Amino acid sequence: MDDQQINVAGTEEFTRPRSRRDFLKSMAVAGAGAAVASTAFAPKAFAQSGSGDVAIANFALTLEYLEATFYTKAVDAGVLSGDALKVVTALRDHENAHVQAITKLLKSVGATPVKKPQFTFPSGAFSSQSSVLKLAATFEPVGVGAYLGQAPMIQSKDILAAAGSIVGVEDEHVVAVNNLLGDAASTLEAFPKALTKQQVLAAVAPFLGMASTMETGGMSPEASPREKFRDAHL
Amino acid sequence: MSEVESRAGSVGTDREISRRKFLKTAAMVGAAFSAAGIGGFDVAVRQAHAQEYKSYEGLGDVKILSFAYLLEELEGTFYDQGVKAGIFGGTALTFITDIRDNEMAHAQALASTLRKLGASVPTTPSFTFPSGTFGSTSAFLKLAATFEPTGIGAYQGAAPALQSKDILAAALSIHSAECRHWNAIKILQGVMPPNNVAFEKPLALQTVQGRVKQFGITG
Repeated sequence: MDDQQINVAGTEEFTRPRSRRDFLKSMAVAGAGAAVASTAFAPKAFAQSGSGDVAIANFALTLEYLEATFYTKAVDAGVLSGDALKVVTALRDHENAHVQAITKLLKSVGATPVKKPQFTFPSGAFSSQSSVLKLAATFEPVGVGAYLGQAPMIQSKDILAAAGSIVGVEDEHVVAVNNLLGDAASTLEAFPKALTKQQVLAAVAPFLGMASTMETGGMSPEASPREKFRDAHL
Repeated sequence: MSEVESRAGSVGTDREISRRKFLKTAAMVGAAFSAAGIGGFDVAVRQAHAQEYKSYEGLGDVKILSFAYLLEELEGTFYDQGVKAGIFGGTALTFITDIRDNEMAHAQALASTLRKLGASVPTTPSFTFPSGTFGSTSAFLKLAATFEPTGIGAYQGAAPALQSKDILAAALSIHSAECRHWNAIKILQGVMPPNNVAFEKPLALQTVQGRVKQFGITG
């Protein structure tokens, strides 16, 4: 089941705006779905994260924690050098800055930020520069998609503005990482895609130790040209 | 080949500039955080969430989209002339061509949306660019490196002021594309790491208008 009905980012969608009534209707369905999904499927990290903007911010915080932890371990592993080390060090610093910013944001509105979850990474994730970059190249579009999917549902304009300042940076990460993998051009798409919360949860579930309990469709089953390129060359 | 040469020439300077910018940003973020305890919400994430959107409030979606359309036309025209100038080759030409196609797709989507909303699509002015813009890769990239953050700042600034959630979603997707463009331009300029900001910056409407006026957008 999809807990978010908002479907955006394609040209087709853009050029065919739905009526406000349809939108509100889909929001109502999404809201009902989200309530069920959060208890039935969501990892513990997301379960007690509030509602509305607070839930969205905590959802984002968990993803930022995941990325920050991953890049911290990647830098500490000592397998990176040269440009890759520079790029990944910056990635680590940015994700940590995002964690801090979202934490402060939540506290400033009297909400409780989620605690940093325990993450598990695939064996061999930090064994080589290539394995780090390949995993990074899968994380970053998920982060972008998560923000693009959630942002239109944010009520507070201030929080929306904050989300806007972060999502763009995640997009920069997508390009920088894929550039190191020799395939930056494929990231230059006109309309980067939004992901539903369910799609994001499915993508990150393995890192939260939830693989066995997540019964979702996961990401798009068909490999993108970028994935095919990576599989063939790396 | 010329692309490689121009990249090599700019590496040192760009790296130093990007490092300085990063430190400046980090200092600003740090200051915002330390002030957060006293100042509360608004100060807490000054770098992350600013108030620029207020300059777009009251315009309405049609005017915001019309302005965005002109920005996309400007960028599309700029990159198209860059592609046709014959100064780029290899990866750089691929990047510039992809970016041009993206900007044109944005302009088409915005025009189509305006029509669906019953609004007219603004007439594209004849743009003027500084002389020498298309004479070298470095001059072109230097201007590209000002266009991209302007476009990013405009979408990011305007987003919270949009009324329609569907248009907001689309605007954010376009904003994402512009951020990718900027990173690609930084890669071509030899900035390492190209991902050198932790938070993207919104721009107030007046700031964007001031920046693009010289190229022919007077609306």
